[in-house]
Amino acid sequence: MKPARLLRWYPRTWRERYGEELLALIQDTLDEGRPTWRLRLSVAWGGLRERAHQAAQAGTAAAKRASLGWLITVTAAPVLGNLPWNLKATLPPARVWQKTAAFDALVGAFAITGVLVLASGLVAAPAFIAFLREAGWPKIRRRVAWAAGAAVPAGGGLAGLFLGQRSMSSAQLSHSWAYAIGVVATTVALVAAFGLWASAATATAKHLKLATRARAAQPLLAAVTLTAALTIVPANLLWLAAIQSSLAWLVVGVANLALVGFVTPRRIGWAVRRSRRLRTAASRRTTHH
Amino acid sequence: MAPSGLRKANDPPLLILVSLADGPKHGHALAKDIEDFAGVKLGPGALYGAITRLVERGLIEPLGSDDRRRPYRITPPGSAALAGALADMRRVTRAGLARLGLDPA
Repeated sequence: MKPARLLRWYPRTWRERYGEELLALIQDTLDEGRPTWRLRLSVAWGGLRERAHQAAQAGTAAAKRASLGWLITVTAAPVLGNLPWNLKATLPPARVWQKTAAFDALVGAFAITGVLVLASGLVAAPAFIAFLREAGWPKIRRRVAWAAGAAVPAGGGLAGLFLGQRSMSSAQLSHSWAYAIGVVATTVALVAAFGLWASAATATAKHLKLATRARAAQPLLAAVTLTAALTIVPANLLWLAAIQSSLAWLVVGVANLALVGFVTPRRIGWAVRRSRRLRTAASRRTTHH
Repeated sequence: MAPSGLRKANDPPLLILVSLADGPKHGHALAKDIEDFAGVKLGPGALYGAITRLVERGLIEPLGSDDRRRPYRITPPGSAALAGALADMRRVTRAGLARLGLDPA
């Protein structure tokens, strides 16, 4: 076996950086001889370890990049998928106020999340328009096309569930396998659509040249959006508790609300400090120039 | 793990730092030197795996070279990490020798 073929164990980026050096070392070690099994194993093991290292690094980076988008996705999609079914639930008149209050809280959490996502978009709008004017569209076209494509089955599935909910009684819904499969399929489609839109937004954001104010506002908007998105979970649990008269859902919902109340102020505090740092750094640069 | 990531006396990163402490060397010279002073024979895979991690952490850096045999040198953070790791090892070694009655220090 030629020593150069041993390099195939390593990832391409590593070979481009260190490949020639490693080959030189192997050739020095061989001294005109053939590679021994010990040397081959050393190189193969080194290459596999390098691949594992790069995969772990890429995974960590992707998780950091996508954590907010995916958290909102996995929070909102199952809630939306189950919405038509849960809306059908009927209650004795004495408990209707509980259902109404919990449902209003859920709708409020969704609405605030939507408004905040929209506000983040508006803050970035001037930079986005400038990006499009500088012929940036081809850089994001494919991702946006995938996201738009995924939104079609998700929207269709949700519309189908609402139509099914109208034409069937609560008992029929509970026993319909077709409806249950529809809920699962719609939830999966919603996860895919939200995830692809979040991915397209992240990819677009990388190309934008944001003004200092907009850059300083982004961490704060992201933290508040996360808070609003996270309150969807306890709001939904409390709504389920009201519909199903379930003490277990009530306990889990209250515990979840407490967790959100504990975690999010810290996240917002961190975002405020980061925004301040960005503003201070920008003003220092301006003074310096 | 120590903050520098250097744990044991026969860790390839530690051996590479010790070898580079007296001047830059390329891969083959490093392997030879390590075998001479530590009796450890590092294979090409292990050697370049350790070199990659040390470069990533800024403890060593490559020097410009027209040859395929690119030399590396230890950086100031690398020297500090090596000094810290060796001081830790010296403390453990002294304690061990003193308890065995082999070294009164």
